[in-house]
Amino acid sequence: MQFTSTDRYYLNPELEEIVNIAILMEKPLLLSGEAGTGKTQLAFEIAKTLGLEMEIARCKSTFKGEELCYVYDTVLRLNDSRFGTGDTGRNISDIWDYLRFGPIGRAFRSEKRRVLLLDEIDKTDSDTQDNLLDVLEDNSFIIREINHCVKAENKPIIIITSNAKRELSDPFLRRCFCHFIPFPQSDEISKIVKLHYPDIDKKLLQSSTDVFYKLRREGFEKPPATAELLDWLGALQQQGMKSPENDGEIAFLGSLLKRTEDILRFKRQRR
Amino acid sequence: MFIDFFQLLRRCGVPISFQFIIEFFAAWEKGLVTNLDRLFIVMRLIFVKRVEHFDAFERAFAAYFLGQIDRLQIPEVDTFLTSKPFQDWLNKQIEEGNLSPQAIHNMPLDELLQKFWETLLKQQEEHHGGNRWIGTGGTSPWGHSGNAQGGIRVHGAGGNKSAIKVLGQNRYTNYKQDAKLGAENIRQALATLKHMIPVGPQNELDVDETIYRTCKNGGEIDFVFKRELRDRLKVVLFMDNGGYSMTPYVRLVRLLFSKMRSQFKDLDFYYFHNCIYEGVYSDVQHRNFVPLNSLFQKDKDIRLFIVGDANMAPSELFSPYGAINYYVENAIPGIDWLRLIADTFPYTVWLNPIEKKYWYYQSSTLDAISEIFHMQDLTLNGLKNAVTYLEDKKEK
Repeated sequence: MQFTSTDRYYLNPELEEIVNIAILMEKPLLLSGEAGTGKTQLAFEIAKTLGLEMEIARCKSTFKGEELCYVYDTVLRLNDSRFGTGDTGRNISDIWDYLRFGPIGRAFRSEKRRVLLLDEIDKTDSDTQDNLLDVLEDNSFIIREINHCVKAENKPIIIITSNAKRELSDPFLRRCFCHFIPFPQSDEISKIVKLHYPDIDKKLLQSSTDVFYKLRREGFEKPPATAELLDWLGALQQQGMKSPENDGEIAFLGSLLKRTEDILRFKRQRR
Repeated sequence: MFIDFFQLLRRCGVPISFQFIIEFFAAWEKGLVTNLDRLFIVMRLIFVKRVEHFDAFERAFAAYFLGQIDRLQIPEVDTFLTSKPFQDWLNKQIEEGNLSPQAIHNMPLDELLQKFWETLLKQQEEHHGGNRWIGTGGTSPWGHSGNAQGGIRVHGAGGNKSAIKVLGQNRYTNYKQDAKLGAENIRQALATLKHMIPVGPQNELDVDETIYRTCKNGGEIDFVFKRELRDRLKVVLFMDNGGYSMTPYVRLVRLLFSKMRSQFKDLDFYYFHNCIYEGVYSDVQHRNFVPLNSLFQKDKDIRLFIVGDANMAPSELFSPYGAINYYVENAIPGIDWLRLIADTFPYTVWLNPIEKKYWYYQSSTLDAISEIFHMQDLTLNGLKNAVTYLEDKKEK
């Protein structure tokens, strides 16, 4: 099982090796880094390239961890016991009819190996992460109500992303391979842009990435990231512009800088 | 194998556990380590869990597997001189006109090597000891000349970057634990600060109320949820924006805390010059005077951060009428005001942009102030310690 770069997604050779090592070592891969470095996208690309199905868990701060494995729908069972199951086909005396499996549960129970994406794990609190520790370690969890152990027959490829909003706990980090994706350098970003706009004017690409990196270095509250750059280039191309500047002003500044304060600060500096 | 490298990692401050070492050998058994490049990646994946340790790891790796000048033996130097990284460096120096071939010819070997390592270890303040050039005894699969043929780029412009070639670029320097606060590591600082704020699930089953209502309902289950109370903090910052030495930090600290604004119930900035006397100013220009007495009316459990270098003329701190600004006339010395602040607001931390290791060389006022307030430096580690201090205090 070898993961390689695709024509849709630029993969840094270092990252490519890391992904393959993580797959071989059967360890969860924790990717952190700035927004717009393609962390989440990577999981999708792995699934696509290897031809595997995906389970996606987009984390919320309210998660406790267990619902990612399974949910025991007591309310539904209670309701059924009062009002009958009707023609739903559920059997009130069979607890399995009232167990819903979350992304982790589905990935573990699947007969085929799947890619499991835990997106933005840092949104959850540290208790949740602790709850997930053993699950990730042993690739198994226990349905407490019936003391049944669900063990992964085919260990999923686990990709975890974090925006570093909050620090992750040490025990959690210990169980993962961690990789911090640095923001792409200018030669890499050119490759990424070319994947999205294959016939972009070379000069335009060069001058606009220069402007882009200059803005990034200014230390704005929300520095422009890859997504902003792509939007901006899209706008420039749409207008058939040959240079990112229009009468000395950066065109479509609003697609690069999103915050009013940043835009005002930028304009002040220009003067 | 590599046992002393593992020890070196620990010495460099990369926390590694025995489990990691086992994992590394498991990877080894699986044949994942096929060359030095892979060794670098595999080791980093297994041993480095936090981005602040990346830099220390890269340095330790460079030192151990690529050698360090003070440990080189004479025969090794010869091999080294013919190796590709060194030759590349030499060519680059000549190309760029930094060194003429003539000068190189005349330069003592030591000096030449020194220059080479300086390029590599640029900006490196600490030299981690105990490193050696691997492969001298032929015990390791990686002899240094092997390294060289592998084309390790120690420093310089790289086209196609493989992992190891970026060594020496210090990509992660800004994420180091003792890195100064800057635009690059502000995210990490934020993550640290978020530890101050308890964030839990928003909904909780109100068991008592549920039972009560269910009984009322004749046994029909009636769930009642309550919103979990969020303890939102009030944060106040006093910032020294007097001297120009403080200016960059004022902006950074403001930015840092502003990003957190939504998390705090209140966030107020005040300014002072060198030391605090009767009051502080609510604006950067020191026009709106806010007497401390009115601030003392605030909740006592606010988190107060004082940002300043605590570096001033002793008289500004210790003598009556000591203020640097002539229009501040106050008979009570600054130090007494500071004590009063510390007594009023127990959750106070002084953040000092001067790094801890240099405190010793500063004015005696720094010492005196650090006795009154818990003082940390304005680095990632310092912020972490400050937050831990505040949290510990809360629990007591």
